[in-house]
Amino acid sequence: MRLNILIGGVAGQGINKVSEIVSNILADYGYFTFNYRDYQSLIRGGHNFNVLSISDTQIESHETVMDIIVALDERTIKTHNQALAKNGILITGEEFKNEGRNLNVALAGTLLKILGIPLEKLNEEIKSQFKESEQALISAKKGYDSKEDEFSLKQLDNKITILSGSEAIAVGARNSNLDLYIAYPMTPATNAMHALAKDQVENNLMVFQAENEIAAANMALGASFTGARVMTGTSGGGFDLMSEALSFQGTSEIPLTVYLASRPGPGTGVPTYTAQADLDVALRAGHGEFSRVVIAPGNPTETIEKTSEALYLAEKFKTLSIILGDKHLAESEFSTTETVPKALKLEILRKLPGEAIVKASSYEIDKFGNSTESYTLTEKNVNSRIEKYEKTKAFIEKNYEMIKLHGKKDSKNLIVGWGSTSGAIKDAIKDLDAKFLQVIYMKPLSSKIKKELEKANNIILVEENVTGQLGRLIREKTGIKIPNRILKYNGRPFHSDELNKYLKEIV
Amino acid sequence: MNMKDKLKTESEITWCPGCPNHLILESVKQTIANLVDAKKFKQEDFAITTDIGCHAKIFDYLNLSGIYCLHGRAIPTAIGMKIGNPNLKVITFAGDGAVYSEGISHFIHAFKYNADMTLILHDNQSFSLTTGQPTPTSQQGYQSKASPLGTFDKPMNPIKLALAANATFIARTNARDIKHMVEIFTKAIAHKGFSFIEVIQDCLIFNLEANGKDARMYKVKDNTDKKIAEKLASEFDYNSKEGRIPIGVIYQTNEPTLEEKWPQLKKLLDKKSTWKNK
Repeated sequence: MRLNILIGGVAGQGINKVSEIVSNILADYGYFTFNYRDYQSLIRGGHNFNVLSISDTQIESHETVMDIIVALDERTIKTHNQALAKNGILITGEEFKNEGRNLNVALAGTLLKILGIPLEKLNEEIKSQFKESEQALISAKKGYDSKEDEFSLKQLDNKITILSGSEAIAVGARNSNLDLYIAYPMTPATNAMHALAKDQVENNLMVFQAENEIAAANMALGASFTGARVMTGTSGGGFDLMSEALSFQGTSEIPLTVYLASRPGPGTGVPTYTAQADLDVALRAGHGEFSRVVIAPGNPTETIEKTSEALYLAEKFKTLSIILGDKHLAESEFSTTETVPKALKLEILRKLPGEAIVKASSYEIDKFGNSTESYTLTEKNVNSRIEKYEKTKAFIEKNYEMIKLHGKKDSKNLIVGWGSTSGAIKDAIKDLDAKFLQVIYMKPLSSKIKKELEKANNIILVEENVTGQLGRLIREKTGIKIPNRILKYNGRPFHSDELNKYLKEIV
Repeated sequence: MNMKDKLKTESEITWCPGCPNHLILESVKQTIANLVDAKKFKQEDFAITTDIGCHAKIFDYLNLSGIYCLHGRAIPTAIGMKIGNPNLKVITFAGDGAVYSEGISHFIHAFKYNADMTLILHDNQSFSLTTGQPTPTSQQGYQSKASPLGTFDKPMNPIKLALAANATFIARTNARDIKHMVEIFTKAIAHKGFSFIEVIQDCLIFNLEANGKDARMYKVKDNTDKKIAEKLASEFDYNSKEGRIPIGVIYQTNEPTLEEKWPQLKKLLDKKSTWKNK
């Protein structure tokens, strides 16, 4: 069973509230949900919509055909009417226009009635969300009573939690006892900053907004030097500004973890949409040759786990850890029954200023930490950085999940993909003879990838960029060129049914 | 071993012979030795950051914890240190080229944050380590290999800028006067908040025209009046050949520090603790 509901309106009308209320109730009712948020770079007006997908089994994507459209304005009907299924249901805000700011709860009411969820569930949710809920309850009932039960959803046993990728960054960071998040706002990284900033005092951490990304990254290094567990986060443009600090991390070997939430570039691009076009820059940003780790989780559960790994690796190997996500992962709301294994305890074992004389430098250094121009020391330092990378790689190979295999394990059709695209791929291959190789560690790259590619007869690369960046990386590391490529680069993530159609032509 | 000797390192000193940086180093050592000898701080309590430029070589000559930062970034790195451990006594060394060009945004914001730390800014009105290009405080007409037509612009007045940015401590001193430097550095370190000291120094190789301002300098009494500070700040415009140059504490006031404003840092400060032990 799977349903897709589109909720659209102008910014500020509360479409997110409708999907939030309905998602929470459905999760409580044992249903998996996936909520895609499509919004413009504006605060009031324009056209925003969410696609809320509902299923009785795990899903991590949305689809193109809508079973229900909830239109808070005329433009939603005009824009999305074609997406409505043959027997689809259209709900308009028109009949509840007297409900004022409770329009969203009235519409949540109509939706829940159509789905066949008892009214009490809605009342409980409203009471937990609103301080003064009296008027909202009346509006909700009005909405609920205006429609008939169409889908009669039965309560399921699943214990579901809903989480966005941004919230998952915060959870992973807190699991690893993060002390400081130092950043400058940039969509779509900002929601992770918001999630950590909320209740920061109670959570015993601090979120500091610096004057720009250059300051944020250098402050993060300064703070990390003193023994604080530190993270910074940004999107592509801000990451460019941080490049010099990443290179500085390379020489100074001060632990640093960076969350890079990418969006379509170059330049300002399409700021509130999604892309997987910053893998190259994550792998290479910063002059000189130095060690780094790049991890690209595909959903919030993986994000929690991999954020802790990134922080752990940065400290243990005094290296640069980059967590690579994108808008689709950061801002979509995923549901899951999975739990995250406990993070390795992040301990600061190095000598710290305040206790001893400790030096770090952007220059090559001698044994005291002071500058040197000696050719022997320069070569020694370069070698030690390369050896460090080899050690880091060996540790990761031994301890962490670097790739995942989904679908039919013995299939000769192999889909290769990464990051937030994984959700749509997993859902797209459910009825296909196909195996999906999800690459999670982009650097180091797992040695198992080559073996998987060699076993397959038909390999298909799926990415959200125009040049097939993971494909190029795999070719560089394995010599294998992936012949079939499904690439999307219009700022919108893959719908699983759309991807299923493309894959059927090849598989 | 006396304290000053404990501050020495094994690095070869590569400043030009006669460069006032030698005297600045001596004054810094004297200041810190005094504070440690008086048991106000331990040697390990200090952490420095240095920028990139001639001034920054001081990093290698001081046996103190610290970071030799990227060009223009000595201030944000130092502020990061204070957020990472508010109990550290942080001193930043930077030059007029680094801070007023590459790092100007950090300079302005530093006064707003008001972290309890000290900025010692070596101003010789020249990018000397890169062979003498003009900086934002170079005088008009200054000709260098990069500016053979002469610098067209009037110089920036960083003291006025600091006042406009709500600085809580501004001082100026003379790189040829060890006694005055020690006095001013000591007052700056004692100040609760972001203390900014401009050290006027000559470069013996580049922008010689800007040198020899000693005779124009006169000592002012420690000042806490903003109106007087504005007047003092205007007396030297970094451009004219004549006129007096006030040195001393040009302005001092009290504002809550970064460490006091953030409850998380206040807690670490009060308990003399670090994030590690949270």
